[in-house]
Amino acid sequence: MRLPIQLNEQSAEPLYHQIEVQLRALIVSGQLTEGTLLPSIRELAQQVKCSVITVKRVYSDLETEGLLRTRQGTGTYVAQVGEKERDRHRLAAVIEAMEQAVIAGKRVQCTEEEMESMFKEALSKHYE
Amino acid sequence: MEEYAIELSGVMQNRPNFKLGPLDLQIPKGFITAIVGPNGCGKSSTFGLMLDLDKPDAGSIEVLGEPLAQGIPTELKKRIGYLPEQPSSHEDGMKGTEKAAFHRFWYDGWDVNRYRELLRILEVDDNQALGKMSKGMRRKFEFAVSLAHAPELLLLDEPSSGLDPLAWKTMIEILHRYMDRGDRTILMTSHIIEEVKRLADYIVFMAQGRVLGVYEKDELFGSWFTLFVSGEELNAKKAAGMPGQCGVEHAGGTTYRITTSRAAEAEEWVAEEGLTLVSRQALELDEIMSALLLQDRLSNRLI
Repeated sequence: MRLPIQLNEQSAEPLYHQIEVQLRALIVSGQLTEGTLLPSIRELAQQVKCSVITVKRVYSDLETEGLLRTRQGTGTYVAQVGEKERDRHRLAAVIEAMEQAVIAGKRVQCTEEEMESMFKEALSKHYE
Repeated sequence: MEEYAIELSGVMQNRPNFKLGPLDLQIPKGFITAIVGPNGCGKSSTFGLMLDLDKPDAGSIEVLGEPLAQGIPTELKKRIGYLPEQPSSHEDGMKGTEKAAFHRFWYDGWDVNRYRELLRILEVDDNQALGKMSKGMRRKFEFAVSLAHAPELLLLDEPSSGLDPLAWKTMIEILHRYMDRGDRTILMTSHIIEEVKRLADYIVFMAQGRVLGVYEKDELFGSWFTLFVSGEELNAKKAAGMPGQCGVEHAGGTTYRITTSRAAEAEEWVAEEGLTLVSRQALELDEIMSALLLQDRLSNRLI
């Protein structure tokens, strides 16, 4: 299976973090349902062109969070995610993305007003 | 917990025109490690020592947990696959099928179905003399032979030299599949940046017979960046104070182009100093290598 994960090598964010954020989003948004078998560590590493060390770290982090579970010898599966849990994770990913956007804006010296108007523009573009 | 497929400790080899070592190097089991370095840095010589094709003058070598002090035991050889940089010319008159039969005799793990499958995927006809094959064809044949006994440890010396882009892609896929079980190890050398990026988990930099450093690939690429920084107070001297700094260049106005090997710390420094980060650019493998070589040369000059 190919996971829709896109990495940005030019980003300041470490690769494992980029993968973790996107994979977490796929799980809490319900795009990957409970019991889905994920690619093997080597397979995912090959798909996103990173090392197996990075993927191992992602799988084990998400396992600790309770989003994944590993069955010896068969592979890594998506775990059952509770409603509450799902909500918490769902918002966490959005908050993180907004922070990144603000950081990007600050880097090019956007004013608060500029940021606000851009945010509103983006809102009206995606929410009718 | 950590387990190594190959361990070199204090390995040295003195030749009239080349000194290798002292090498202390551990190749982790279950991963792909790529040795990169300029021509003549000692990569192939190191391979020769690991396979007992050549003896070190000092130090000890362990391969798959077995010391090589008394030569390499036949049983150990069966667990290793080796693709040398150059095909042996004394095999030129031999047919592909004959070489395969020879390997089949020596390697217990030889799997004829696997061998045929590899030939099919790589589009190789083994029913011709090795010397008559084109360079790329022979490379693919030798590659298939080195893999057909499903070795625990695979040593590949410039595996892709002479391969066309399609065959190269096929080779990468075969190697990924080979590694999927998780308990096998590949040690390879390569000059091809894309190949190292696609395959390696660990990268070993070598130069002038020495190991400059061993790095986890993603960590390496995640820490070497060129930052464009600007600030009214900024000058070359101040820019040189950036953590991990390996080169400062004036980029017009109050902007400096600074290369760092510790990107995260460097960005914190930029913020603390009240400077502005204009843009950032990840370094390519060759750029990292030349920066490391330069550092190495400078530190040698100090001694």
